[in-house]
Amino acid sequence: MAKRGAPPLQADLLQGTLDLLILQTLVLGAAHGHTIAHVIEHRSDAVLQVEHGSLYPALHRLEDRRWIASFWGTSENNRKARYYRLTAAGRRQLTQQTSRWDQLVGAINRVLRPAKE
Amino acid sequence: MGWTRFFGRERWDKERERELQTYLEIETDENLARGMTPEEARYAARRKLGNPTQIREEIYRMNSLTFIESLWQDVHCGLRMLRKSTGFAMVAILTLALGIGANTAIFSVIHAVLLNPLPYNDPDRIVLVVESNPSRGFPQFAVSPPNYVDWKKESTAFENMASIARGSFNYTGGPEPERLSGARVSASFFAVMGATPAIGRTFLPEDDVLGKASVVVLSYGLWTRHFGSDPLVVGKSLTLDGESYRVVGVMQNGFQFPRGVDLWLPSEFDADALRPGARGAHYLRVMARLKPDVSIDKAQAEMVGISKRLDQQYPRTNTGWTSKLLSLNESTVGNVRPTLLVLFGAVGFLLLIACANVANLLLARATARQREIAIRFSLGASRLRIARQLLTESVLLSGIATGIGLLLAEWAIRALRTLPPSNLPRAASISLDLPVLAFAAGAAVLTGLLFGFAPALQITRGAPAETLKEGGRTSSTSRHGVRSALVVLETTLALVLLVGSGLLLKSFLRLQTVDPGFQYKNVVTADISLPRSKYSTDAQKIQFFDELLQRIQSVQGVGEVAAASGNPMEGSNLSIAFATKDLQALSPADQPSAGYYVISPNYFHTLGIPLLVGRYFAREDSVGTPRVAIISQAVAHQFFHDKNPIGQTINIGIGAPGGAPIWREIVGVVGDVKDDGLGEAATMTVYEPYTQMGWDDMNLFLRADSDTSQVAATVRRQVASVDKDQPVGDISTGERLMAQAVAQPQLRTMLLSLFAGLALVLASLGIYGVMSNTVAQRTHEIGVRMALGAGQSSVLRLVLSNGMRLTLLGIALGTAGAFALTRLIKGFLFHVTPTDPATFVEVALFLFLVALLASYIPARRATRVDPVVALRYE
Repeated sequence: MAKRGAPPLQADLLQGTLDLLILQTLVLGAAHGHTIAHVIEHRSDAVLQVEHGSLYPALHRLEDRRWIASFWGTSENNRKARYYRLTAAGRRQLTQQTSRWDQLVGAINRVLRPAKE
Repeated sequence: MGWTRFFGRERWDKERERELQTYLEIETDENLARGMTPEEARYAARRKLGNPTQIREEIYRMNSLTFIESLWQDVHCGLRMLRKSTGFAMVAILTLALGIGANTAIFSVIHAVLLNPLPYNDPDRIVLVVESNPSRGFPQFAVSPPNYVDWKKESTAFENMASIARGSFNYTGGPEPERLSGARVSASFFAVMGATPAIGRTFLPEDDVLGKASVVVLSYGLWTRHFGSDPLVVGKSLTLDGESYRVVGVMQNGFQFPRGVDLWLPSEFDADALRPGARGAHYLRVMARLKPDVSIDKAQAEMVGISKRLDQQYPRTNTGWTSKLLSLNESTVGNVRPTLLVLFGAVGFLLLIACANVANLLLARATARQREIAIRFSLGASRLRIARQLLTESVLLSGIATGIGLLLAEWAIRALRTLPPSNLPRAASISLDLPVLAFAAGAAVLTGLLFGFAPALQITRGAPAETLKEGGRTSSTSRHGVRSALVVLETTLALVLLVGSGLLLKSFLRLQTVDPGFQYKNVVTADISLPRSKYSTDAQKIQFFDELLQRIQSVQGVGEVAAASGNPMEGSNLSIAFATKDLQALSPADQPSAGYYVISPNYFHTLGIPLLVGRYFAREDSVGTPRVAIISQAVAHQFFHDKNPIGQTINIGIGAPGGAPIWREIVGVVGDVKDDGLGEAATMTVYEPYTQMGWDDMNLFLRADSDTSQVAATVRRQVASVDKDQPVGDISTGERLMAQAVAQPQLRTMLLSLFAGLALVLASLGIYGVMSNTVAQRTHEIGVRMALGAGQSSVLRLVLSNGMRLTLLGIALGTAGAFALTRLIKGFLFHVTPTDPATFVEVALFLFLVALLASYIPARRATRVDPVVALRYE
């Protein structure tokens, strides 16, 4: 479990956030597990760390709900890898979840910084 | 979570493994690109991923159905536990198998006999209508034809009403003459029963008109047996009693009402059957089908009204007679219901005892398993989870036991199925069918929970830390309390069963020693019924039997031979009104009634019925000489007040045509005969010689030294030599008939004794088990006591007193229970009261001694404890 540099946050800090991040990552196109983790870490400037122990069960869960689908493909350096892509249901889910997230963040902010609002 | 996912999870896991492998490879590649050594690169990749097995396990769990999974685990674990302790498992399983097997067998009987609807269309609406005259001791009596005709005309509660009169018919036309059993029924009979023919038709109303047409409906059995299942049988003719009958139909397979009939003929009441005086001739069975919206009570009320009117209109014959409705079911199986319910109660007790026993075994084992359970707790298992596992083990035990129990039940059912219908109606339909299997399954689960519950509760209640500290060696006192309570329960139930079976056994033995008033051993009986068409006059009948008796008498090996119109071994026969000179003014309805036999002179001698005063009938008493009669002691006692009745006269209901009395002179008094059953009082009986009163349906009695089959052949040969067309009906032996008469009490006595015996064995095993366990647990204490100087006898007393306290408590409770419950078998008892003190004391003493023995063996073991070993052991 990699913990380097500034204290990182776990990507599934809040229930369902990891799911949301995975779905968002896949908007750009199909990716395998390693890429997904990499992209999340990279995009969050390494603030969010993906716990691999959670990543794969999360992928499984999302697939089980038919929000993502998987297939075997070949990676950049010619390795056989399992790729995930967003399904139509997943895309709908992402939109919903994102707006729910915005609401949530707004609400929390209003509580934490009432003066500024 | 889908089932497909559940079953495909092995494959799923493989894919995950490969996926994670890919991840490691990619990460390693990247690390290499960052300039690590291959070793470092692989290590760093692994570190980043974490524990792949854990990830896989988590996903695997997501794919599983937790409940079923853990249930499977429990079953698996339970089976392993049972295999590990074979002795325990065998005893527990056998005990339960006996309990469940006995319950299943008895339930299968109850299901087939009492619960299954009768095989007729809408059987709940079919009722039996009987006449009833409680004041004269006839709660249920046959119906006379004129009363039936009036009932049918006046009642509105029924869709239809039918009359049935059983009879036997001599069938000639086959290779040998044969006696067939039949019934004369009204045309409405088949509609009342809701039965339709397989071929042809049933009777039409015009068939009932006397002399219109001689038609017959065959039973399926007779059709296959005598007509080779000929589909064109309708229209063919059949010779019965020398007359030709035309076959109009064949009934469906399985329709046989009344029981055992081969054929049905139209009732055809003649003028004689319907004359006013015939209202007193009760011989019909009347069935009716209720209208859909009419309740049995409403119909009953209407019938009582009609009977009351008839009572007023025909006081001479109908005074005191009312009518009663019985459901068909009640009349078919009503007399075995109490027996079956009592037996069901008994096997219920037996199952409870078995449960208590197994619970005891489980509790004893729980001590040994306490450590195991405590460790599981410590490792984080929930109480619920552990309790569930223990219960699963229990249900597993009972499941296996049920399998074996079903085998036992099947075996018992095969034996029960062979019982003749007179002992157990509908016995042939007893089987392990679906409802019975469902019952067994229910019993299995219920018993599993029942005997598993206490141990599961006990074992999961204790604090694990304490148990681990104790080292699992000493048992808690509360558990011991439960075990003692179970022993008391077992003893209580066993005592109740033992008292019940003791009472039945005593009754049965008393019944066996009753003197029936006649000798039945070495007697062969045969039934001969002369057809009215061929033997219409008294002279013809008398001549036939005269010749037959003489011929048989002359055969070598036949000691005595006699004939009579009834057979006292088969129950009472004809009942007839009679009058002495003092009573002649009474109307026939008020005259006393007595059993009536028409006999050959040798009858009393052959059956060993003692002559008390006067003489037997003689060959000289014939049509030309004064009419004579012999009375039984009971008649002499009641109507001649023990004064010598010889020379007095008596009039019997069968008088001269026109109803004028025929006075018979009493020539003798004979001993009483119990022809209504051994348990009943002797009936008053009047005898007449067949030489003065020609009779067509006679029983032969042969006292023979040679074996039965030879006698049977002799009778057939001699009958054929007198009349080659004359068949011989049922041939039997006195022993068989008398055994038949006590078959039902014998069956219930045997079964209840069997169950009580099993209960005793199980209960004493229970006491033995608990006492052995107590001794094993108290070894240390006993060792200390002995080291301090306690003698063997005081140790023996210590252990025995413990066991006997439980036993005595059980006996006390059982006595109270038996006191309350034996009332239920009151109807089965003969010359024994339900609270017979002797039986109670004997049974209690017996149980006490058995329990004493059961605790003596472990107590002896306690006295052999070596203090040194016992103390070192701790």
